[in-house]
Amino acid sequence: MRGASASYRMTRCGSIACGAIFAGCIAMVDAGTARAADVELGRYLSSECTTCHSPHAHSAIPNIHGMMESTFTEVVRAYREKRLNNPVMQNVAARLNDEDIAALAAYFASAKKVP
Amino acid sequence: MTDLTRRNFTWLAGASLAGLSTPLFAPAVFGQGKPKVVVIGGGPGGATVARYLAKESNGAVDVTLVEPLKQFTTCFFSNLYVGGFRDYKSLTHNYDKVKKSGVKVVHAMATAIDRDKKQVLAGGNRIPYDRLVVAPGIDLKFDSVPGYSEAAAEIMPHAWKPGAQTQLLVKKLNALKDGDTIVMVAPPNPYRCPPGPYERVSMFAHVLKKKGHKKSKIIVLDPKPAFSKQAVFMEGWEKHYPGMIEWQDPKMHGGIKSVDPKTGVIKTDLAEYKAALANVIPAQMAGKIARDAQLTNQSGFCEIHPESMKSKVDANIFVIGDATIAGDMPKSAFSANSQAKVAAMIIRSELTQSRAFPARYTNTCWSLIAPDDDVKVGASYEPGEGKIKQISGFVSQKGEAADLRKQNYKESVDWYNGIVTDVFG
Repeated sequence: MRGASASYRMTRCGSIACGAIFAGCIAMVDAGTARAADVELGRYLSSECTTCHSPHAHSAIPNIHGMMESTFTEVVRAYREKRLNNPVMQNVAARLNDEDIAALAAYFASAKKVP
Repeated sequence: MTDLTRRNFTWLAGASLAGLSTPLFAPAVFGQGKPKVVVIGGGPGGATVARYLAKESNGAVDVTLVEPLKQFTTCFFSNLYVGGFRDYKSLTHNYDKVKKSGVKVVHAMATAIDRDKKQVLAGGNRIPYDRLVVAPGIDLKFDSVPGYSEAAAEIMPHAWKPGAQTQLLVKKLNALKDGDTIVMVAPPNPYRCPPGPYERVSMFAHVLKKKGHKKSKIIVLDPKPAFSKQAVFMEGWEKHYPGMIEWQDPKMHGGIKSVDPKTGVIKTDLAEYKAALANVIPAQMAGKIARDAQLTNQSGFCEIHPESMKSKVDANIFVIGDATIAGDMPKSAFSANSQAKVAAMIIRSELTQSRAFPARYTNTCWSLIAPDDDVKVGASYEPGEGKIKQISGFVSQKGEAADLRKQNYKESVDWYNGIVTDVFG
């Protein structure tokens, strides 16, 4: 399993290796974006979810906009660990690491349902 | 080195050498005004990328969508219209909410791309771009089936593009009498919607069964030795429509020799069929504008970089959806929608220096075999081995419980509502 954030940092690390002169600059960028990164990452990752999970009321596919972070986290982890059964969700959850799930949970908790 | 790595290196190096005298997140300079993105094609790929670019950039990018139709009818779920589960209107969507999201929608046919001047010709105007997204879908290779042509399609519909063709197919299906024969000529790989022909066959059978047909037959002449979700389709056909559907692979028919729209006769190497309804789905290629702009290779489809959906022949152009060679991803609305989000994210990062993330893609396809008997296949994908590579997947299995199949159908209906909201707003 690999996560988007981990890969992103690895990419940055590749840049660091290109020259020590840039190291300070890169450290500033990473430090500056670290706090805000989770929701930004969550917003990007959420685009995978919104193909099916509409902000409008649904039935078979739940509306996850506005879902509590703790609920979201527990449900996605349950799919990842195959304690819940839907293969679509098991497949989606399989490549989400804990940081991805936290980012998504934070994003969807702040996302609004649309009547 | 990936595009992402190269881009970050250049940007960071530039910022450092300038002694951070300019803001790290300053927008790129592209002449006067906002950077411009033009999107050709308002289907599930094109409309998604346009909407995501507009809403995610908060107006920092000028987005123009060029699409001739004012109402777009989805190909996905059109088989449910064929089967009588949906009405035609429920598949038709307008661009009002796309416009509200900040996209300029030009209802004209894009007729050419001037790659040197970075302009799209549409409706007599030249529309300039900094980045162009080409999402034209497919065109049909009519001559891939001997005797078939665009004119023949008015008698033997392909119904593989949404609109009048689908309505013609339904009209002919509903006019059939008991004892008639339907012949489907299935397409060779690669083609739009891999399970689509077989869901359509299921819907044909459902309609005939519902009308009380006892003697009607459906013959599927396939140029492929196998097809998507074959095990569960064939199990479902035997369960719901015993003896009605006969699928023939190339070893069984020996090759499709000709179709004749005047007589309805379809000849294979080994037999001849008189079709009351012939559904001929020919081979496919990228839409004309992609071919004219020389974005395609000898396969007729467009090579892309899997990290970005960027064309391999032009760094200012992205190609998404059915027109692409997308590695392990099938040609589907779900895939196009997924690819659109990667393209939108990369384009934004190039034009506004927003944060870029590694590409990840997803697809799921649901297929209805009979009322409340729905099967699905899906996968996750990431760049790997120089292509979009499948990293995990699943497919419905034979012998699954009726409750599960019914739940799949409900899920597919919700998915349709979800994706059209994601695409059209």
